[in-house]
Amino acid sequence: MIVAIDQNLCTGCRECAEVCPAYAIVGEQGKPQTIDTSRCVMCGQCVQKCKSYVSILTHGKDAYEKVKKERNIPDCVQEPLFAAHAVCNIDKVNAALADPEKLTMVQCAPAVRVAIAEEFGADLGTLAPGKLAAALRKIGFDRVYDTNFPADVTIMEEGTELIKRVTQGGVLPMFTSCCPAWVKFMENTYPEIKDHLSSCKSPQQMGGAIFKTYGAELEGTDGSKVFSVSVMPCTCKEFECERPEMKDSGYRDVDVVMTTRDLAWLIKSKNIDWDALAEEEFDQPLGLYTGAGTIFGVTGGVMEAAIRTGYELITGQPIPDVEVTAVRGTEGFRVSHLKVGDLTLKVGVVTGLKNVVPVIEAMKAGQLDLHFIEVMTCPEGCVSGGGQPKLLMDTDRAEAYAARRKATFDHDKELPYRKSHENPAIKKIYDEFLKEPNGPIAHHLLHTKYCIK
Amino acid sequence: MKKNLGSFVVGDSTKCTGCKACEVACFAVHSRQNNPVGKTVGTVTVPVTPKLYLTRFEQGCMPIQCKHCEDAPCLNVCTKGAISRIDNQVIVDPEKCIGCKDCMQACPFGAIALLPYAKDGKLAAQAMGETKVFASKCDLCAGVEGGPACVRVCPHQALRLVDPEAEAEEKKIKAAEALLMTKNWR
Repeated sequence: MIVAIDQNLCTGCRECAEVCPAYAIVGEQGKPQTIDTSRCVMCGQCVQKCKSYVSILTHGKDAYEKVKKERNIPDCVQEPLFAAHAVCNIDKVNAALADPEKLTMVQCAPAVRVAIAEEFGADLGTLAPGKLAAALRKIGFDRVYDTNFPADVTIMEEGTELIKRVTQGGVLPMFTSCCPAWVKFMENTYPEIKDHLSSCKSPQQMGGAIFKTYGAELEGTDGSKVFSVSVMPCTCKEFECERPEMKDSGYRDVDVVMTTRDLAWLIKSKNIDWDALAEEEFDQPLGLYTGAGTIFGVTGGVMEAAIRTGYELITGQPIPDVEVTAVRGTEGFRVSHLKVGDLTLKVGVVTGLKNVVPVIEAMKAGQLDLHFIEVMTCPEGCVSGGGQPKLLMDTDRAEAYAARRKATFDHDKELPYRKSHENPAIKKIYDEFLKEPNGPIAHHLLHTKYCIK
Repeated sequence: MKKNLGSFVVGDSTKCTGCKACEVACFAVHSRQNNPVGKTVGTVTVPVTPKLYLTRFEQGCMPIQCKHCEDAPCLNVCTKGAISRIDNQVIVDPEKCIGCKDCMQACPFGAIALLPYAKDGKLAAQAMGETKVFASKCDLCAGVEGGPACVRVCPHQALRLVDPEAEAEEKKIKAAEALLMTKNWR
């Protein structure tokens, strides 16, 4: 199980049930709770919420070490462990790192760089891409790539798909497909709307598929030698990478996922002094990214990135303002009408999975007039993901999310390229390998079908 | 009004769900005083040692913590001078505490537990090398900005800081106002 509740530790407070968007937590008040796996979308918000820790007083002196062992958590870890928890795959990562036959390629999601430093005592929302790259290299990954690059690829693919749907009369509105918990929820609850979902894989899966094809080619090897690891702010990404259809290169796109918290554990277990790390760059070309790629980490970011590119692809003109502030914000459902040449593009942004239900119901009732809808499961997008550093006090949550959002937008501002289609590495991969967005190679490797039972 | 009586925090079992957010917050703000504990769980390197204790009983659950007694039995019995009254609050000095458990036995509310003592991110050692323990009890978040952390984090407002004199004053005023209304019928 990817997300689970330890029956020996759960106090039955049901605070997790309050934040579960899928109503998957079942049990009597005051009794240990269980997760209904047929409903659970593995978003990990319960993991973030749970405060029922392994206690010397309640569970005894030896309980902590026992729980740590059961969960495969590195020995050096001494932080509190809680009833609701996510799977830890550090042992698989270590095995691959130790295997001389494997070429390890790692990618990290946009939201990781604005949060991981918190686990080493830095202020909430400290931006640390340089230290992140340095730490991953020090751990021993052969190639330190970045999910922000396949996020740029996603924009090329999803933007092109949207333009085709709008101009050629495809199924609308189109929903984003980069949040695996949203996809799982749609499959569980509304399979009848599956044609509204973009056929794009998520950036993580696109990254994995690219590493094992183009990435392997760049190294003069083949996909069988590549071990693909991703670091995600998300607990559901492990589920996504295990989906049987996610192996279009002939090999599994992503072999194993670590959360932001897991990576902090791995860094500590390797005795790496985070504070002393000098900043380094991600490896080229699959670690070169734009501001558009990095804002995927916040609610509205995929939409904004898509508009930055879509506007220019449709009109052939530069977008008047690269910052599409109309789609920013943190409200659960936001609608904007944007002028794109002669077209009025009507877009919606949903954050917090519960907020998608009325949107889908309105759509089914024919009362929703939109072209494109971004959906993120977690409260403010991936910066608030279930795999992110967990706050000791929930009263710090608003500050943490705001600081991580701000750091994401600050990073966008400072990057030399802010539109996915202007990324030189994007131009290069389409020239050399993918050929054209939504073309046959892209379609084979980077797109998928959902609702396969 | 000059405060003569110590304040204390009290829980409400009709609101408490038993989530332990109070215990974790209590630990976080106190351990931060002599350990490098940040705002996230990953910054913690020492066991969770709260100063209030979620307690289950037949009718429900609630945290139990020190009442800051005026004639405090814990203070009275401590032979090492580790417990003192500072600003109307009964405070344990973990450096002086030898873990004799006299205070634990003396406390009529069970509000004291002996827990491992950590300093500079590590467990402190006793003379013979074993982990040092100390009497862990509520200090009303002395020196913590914003006051008692447990009260601030409770998602159901099941904890409240009681100022007994101010509350009594309020009740007296209400009683006086009620009596005034009875004037016409006297």
